[in-house]
Amino acid sequence: MAANPKKIQENNAELATFYVGKALCGIDILSIQEINKHFEVTTVPQAPDYVVGVLNLRGRIVTILDLGKKLGLSQIRSNKKNRNIIVRSQDELVGLMVDSISDVVTSDQDRIEPAPSNISGMKGKFFRGVMKTQNALIGILDIEEVLKE
Amino acid sequence: MIEDDEILQMYIEESLEHLSDIESDLLTIEGEGENIDIDIVNNVFRAAHSIKGGAGFMGLTTIKGLAHSLENVLDLIRNKELVPTPNRISVLLTGFDKLESLMQNIQTSNDEDVSDITDALANITKSTLAEDKQDIITNTVNIILQDGRIFPSVSQYSIEQAKNEGKYTYLVEYDLIKDIHRSNKNPIELLDSLEKTGNIIDSRIDFDSVGTLGDQSASTRIPFQILFASILEPDMASTLFDLADEYIHVVTDEMLAPSNEPAETESIPEAMPTLAAPATTTSAEPPSPSPTETPVTTTQPSRPASEQNPQQAAPKPISEPAHEDVTKPSVPTAPPVAQPQTPTPPPPAQSKTINEKTYQPPPAKKPAPIPQKSDNDSDGDGGTMNISKPMGSLRVNVNLLDTLMNLAGELVLSRNQLIQGINSSNAKATELSSQRIDMITSELQEAIMRTRMQPIANVFNKFTRVVRDLSRELGKSIDLMIEGKEVELDKTIIESINDPLTHLVRNSVDHGIELPQEREAKGKKATGTIALRAFHDAGQVNILISDDGKGLDPEKIAAAAVKKGLMSEQQVSELSSKEKIDLILLPGFSTAEKVTDVSGRGVGMDVVVTNLEKLGGIIEIDSTTGKGTDIQIKLPLTLAIIPSQIISVGNEKYAIPQVNLDELLRIPASQVKERIEKVGDADVVRLRGNLLPLLNLAEVLGIQKTFIHPDDNKEYPDQRKSVADRRSAKYNKDGSEDNNAEVYKDHRSGEDRRYRSSSAINIAVVSAGTHKYGLVVDELRDSEEIVVKPLGRHLKRCSGYAGATIMGDGKVALILDVSNLAQMADLTTMAEAERTAKAARAAEEAREKARDKASLLLFKNGESEHCAAPLHLVERIERIPVSSIEKVSGKKVVQYRGGALPLFELSQVANVSKLPETEQQEIIVFTVKNRELGLMVTPPVDAIELSLDIDDSTLKQTGINGSMIIDGHTTLLVDIFDVVKTLNPSWFEEDAAAVAAAIEDNRQKVILFAEDSAFFRNQVKGFMAEEGYSVITAEDGEIAWNLLKERHHEIDLVVTDLEMPNMDGFELTNKIKSDPTLTHFKVIALTSLASDAHVKKGKEVGIDEYEIKLDRENLMKLIRQYLN
Repeated sequence: MAANPKKIQENNAELATFYVGKALCGIDILSIQEINKHFEVTTVPQAPDYVVGVLNLRGRIVTILDLGKKLGLSQIRSNKKNRNIIVRSQDELVGLMVDSISDVVTSDQDRIEPAPSNISGMKGKFFRGVMKTQNALIGILDIEEVLKE
Repeated sequence: MIEDDEILQMYIEESLEHLSDIESDLLTIEGEGENIDIDIVNNVFRAAHSIKGGAGFMGLTTIKGLAHSLENVLDLIRNKELVPTPNRISVLLTGFDKLESLMQNIQTSNDEDVSDITDALANITKSTLAEDKQDIITNTVNIILQDGRIFPSVSQYSIEQAKNEGKYTYLVEYDLIKDIHRSNKNPIELLDSLEKTGNIIDSRIDFDSVGTLGDQSASTRIPFQILFASILEPDMASTLFDLADEYIHVVTDEMLAPSNEPAETESIPEAMPTLAAPATTTSAEPPSPSPTETPVTTTQPSRPASEQNPQQAAPKPISEPAHEDVTKPSVPTAPPVAQPQTPTPPPPAQSKTINEKTYQPPPAKKPAPIPQKSDNDSDGDGGTMNISKPMGSLRVNVNLLDTLMNLAGELVLSRNQLIQGINSSNAKATELSSQRIDMITSELQEAIMRTRMQPIANVFNKFTRVVRDLSRELGKSIDLMIEGKEVELDKTIIESINDPLTHLVRNSVDHGIELPQEREAKGKKATGTIALRAFHDAGQVNILISDDGKGLDPEKIAAAAVKKGLMSEQQVSELSSKEKIDLILLPGFSTAEKVTDVSGRGVGMDVVVTNLEKLGGIIEIDSTTGKGTDIQIKLPLTLAIIPSQIISVGNEKYAIPQVNLDELLRIPASQVKERIEKVGDADVVRLRGNLLPLLNLAEVLGIQKTFIHPDDNKEYPDQRKSVADRRSAKYNKDGSEDNNAEVYKDHRSGEDRRYRSSSAINIAVVSAGTHKYGLVVDELRDSEEIVVKPLGRHLKRCSGYAGATIMGDGKVALILDVSNLAQMADLTTMAEAERTAKAARAAEEAREKARDKASLLLFKNGESEHCAAPLHLVERIERIPVSSIEKVSGKKVVQYRGGALPLFELSQVANVSKLPETEQQEIIVFTVKNRELGLMVTPPVDAIELSLDIDDSTLKQTGINGSMIIDGHTTLLVDIFDVVKTLNPSWFEEDAAAVAAAIEDNRQKVILFAEDSAFFRNQVKGFMAEEGYSVITAEDGEIAWNLLKERHHEIDLVVTDLEMPNMDGFELTNKIKSDPTLTHFKVIALTSLASDAHVKKGKEVGIDEYEIKLDRENLMKLIRQYLN
């Protein structure tokens, strides 16, 4: 399994897509624990600027990151469509705050191309690839890379 | 060896439990010497015994051998055949230590070489026996059963012992499958139950008779053979063992055959090296049965020290190397007794024999692993272990478990109720069940906590040994007193305090307690005492380690700190001795003059401190040089749930662990100005006479501070730059408001918002380790019990937080890490804070000094008018009855000391109210012109010392110099001279004549007067001008100096104040006296407070005379004296 997990995932995986600014990004839906709109975060002074704060998710403390800032774009603008995507990474839960949630799409290996070095201002290293759909380009995020401190 | 993890695990746990008590038991035995307590010895004996029994079954040959040797010695002690001397106990202790370490590394235990210990033990055993019997200790025999099977290599000594005690020896064969497994027994339990009725000499599993799979005749039995000695008669045996007679063999002498070497190597399968350990023993120390052999002195306990020598003289046996070549599991046993004819060489000289008498406990390094071992959780030496660590499990009282179960049941019931209540929207039921859940939760919490609680004895007990071994090694005599063993702490804390405590105790032994001769020389008891105490106090566990040793020398510590470059000499000189002692807590500090094995290995007290701080603990050192040292450690009961104080800054709440919290402080808005000061960049607060550094939480964390404006309830960013900054025009004396204040000026309505109570400053006084400071927060809230939860990895770098918790409203609150906050704010140690405080004090003193200080006598004129007069003019204060006042020629007098004392009141001179009529009259007696007069005043009369800040215009009139505010009252400063002059002009007539005569002369005399206070400048200038002198005034020393340089031809005398800005009186004088053209000038110094130090300093720089500022009379006399 460890041999080519990427392949298996990307052949059959479904991607949850969402907007960060104007860019459409996707994450393998299996790495997502939940998507919510709890925003009563506690700000953490002295934290890196991309940290929105910490959230109580049913007794667990979840760090919420501003995905826009984390990817080198501008801060997520607060509006009603904002969502937190809670992902599991290295035995902890981390929330990614995004502008809005879009569809779930099935990934198709054939249509995935390696990520260019720059996707609408975001560094290529954050992406595993880009997938073209009929009307959009989806940047498939490499969660571990994105979550690196 | 047995691979059944479960049984092995059980065996290990049980054995470790046995072992855990042995140490203290052995030490007790040692302490009692000859008068042994049979019960205790039995305890230890049984422990060794059951370990041996289990080991046989498990195939743990080394353990079995070692346990056996230990058992032999203990048996002798039990039978009073052997006195437990310290040396013997040392050997036993080492043996049990080894046993424990073997237990910890059970998988590799069979590869360990324990021959040095077994030899030492064998030597002890031997020494008690008659010479001819000695060999049986190391000899082994085989037991041959009727069917020809052999139970190999049984210690002949054990069998003999049993026989001597009148016991029967049985060889019992259980079937592992049928008798044990099928009947749901467990081999260890079986051994335990047998132990109750007799002794298990040996046990093994007879793999030989099992056969192999291909073997047709394979027996269906796996015999588990136990060699058992009991006083029970053979006919009872089958009942006892619950076995058919055919499996119970009574061992008779005929069945014993000398274990014969070749046979054994074949008969013992590789996988079953039952007796490897004793075998090792014997090979290293073969007996000397040869009749030709001269008696070996080892046998005589009476000749202890020399025993090595004959052995060394003996020739080395040729056969020895051959023996050692044999493969390990089948190490040859020594030549058996049954072959006495075989000439056996005497023991080899280089045998690893440890002589009982010369045996010394291994250096501290060796016992050192013990703490780690008993500290079961530490994974330090678990490297070689494949099985789970021995004590990963925890024993829980069954009652407690039942309680937990009950609570869990109740929780379920309450949940059901709650669900029902909610479904039926029954508010009352919901409320009831929520109350119940609340109660159950707290009980559950407490019960679960209790399961984690362990007595501190687990840690304390081992110190008996540590202290004993160390003191022996260092040649010290030390008593260890332990109190409060029953105090319980959370398991994790117990485990983590082990190392810090060990360090501290070792320090006490190594550095604290002196050598016996040193102690005697100092008049102390030769035996030092170290006391370990644990007790509960204020919800914390306190551990006190005190010794009556030499104590810590603050000077030595300070010197060492300077030498190591940890502090500058300047810094050190400012420390109190307590602070100097605290220096040993600094990283990189170790006072040991020589680095010993025991302590001072480079890791010092700082490690102890760091470890304790991780646990939320605090350490305090108190030491008296020559008397001893007390080290107090305060620890929380548990780490998971902590009581804490909730505070808030901005919109967020934060938790401060209660352990770190000393007190809460609220400084009302009205006191902020006086109690909070700025020293350099730091704010400090005055707290009971001490200055405490302040840290503004919002600033440290970089939170934008806001305040809710009372007018529009909107938030505005707070503009205050420092805590003491009040942003209020009313507080800005000079009236210059800064811009920020200007912005809000319009918002302010009648009542200034800064005067509201919400402007009070809230401070949480916290301490962690050596830091103590005040944390300025917006609001102090409740104190709550919080559950500590870790923060995610993106926040690891925010060192200001110790974690997070969830508040009742579901929001997350961050837990503050008090010591890290201090570091973030660069608020280094408490010493630093103290220095800041000192600097503050110094600055303040300097400021006070810069102003003029004077001693005044305060009194009242009537009920409402407050007055003051210079204290130095006052002779005394009297109270007289009004009736004794006489009116003579329009003047009031009172008979006083044989004369008439003229009395007057202020209203006679100045425009003040008349004194009310009273029965008693307070009189202040002044001396003017060598005559006394009394001023009638209204009490209270009080003396104060303060800086003069006199308003000499508003209220100035005859007899009144001016006014100033003292204690919130406008106080009139009474000019006694003026009063007297007005009342009794005649007193001054002589002077007046002289003055009048002199005035013409004086016209030419010019006095340079330097004084910074306008009041005094005018006052004193007035005195001088009245006598006709010309006066040139200067506001400070520098101006005076310049004037003097320019106009030194005109000037005749210099009168100067001492405390002045820019250039003070001392410097001015110094300059004058060291300038050749000016050196002839006489300098009179005016001062308000002439201290001896001042006078001395003044004399050094050349001040000719001192005079008190307001003492006009003397001053003028002096001037006259100098000028005429």
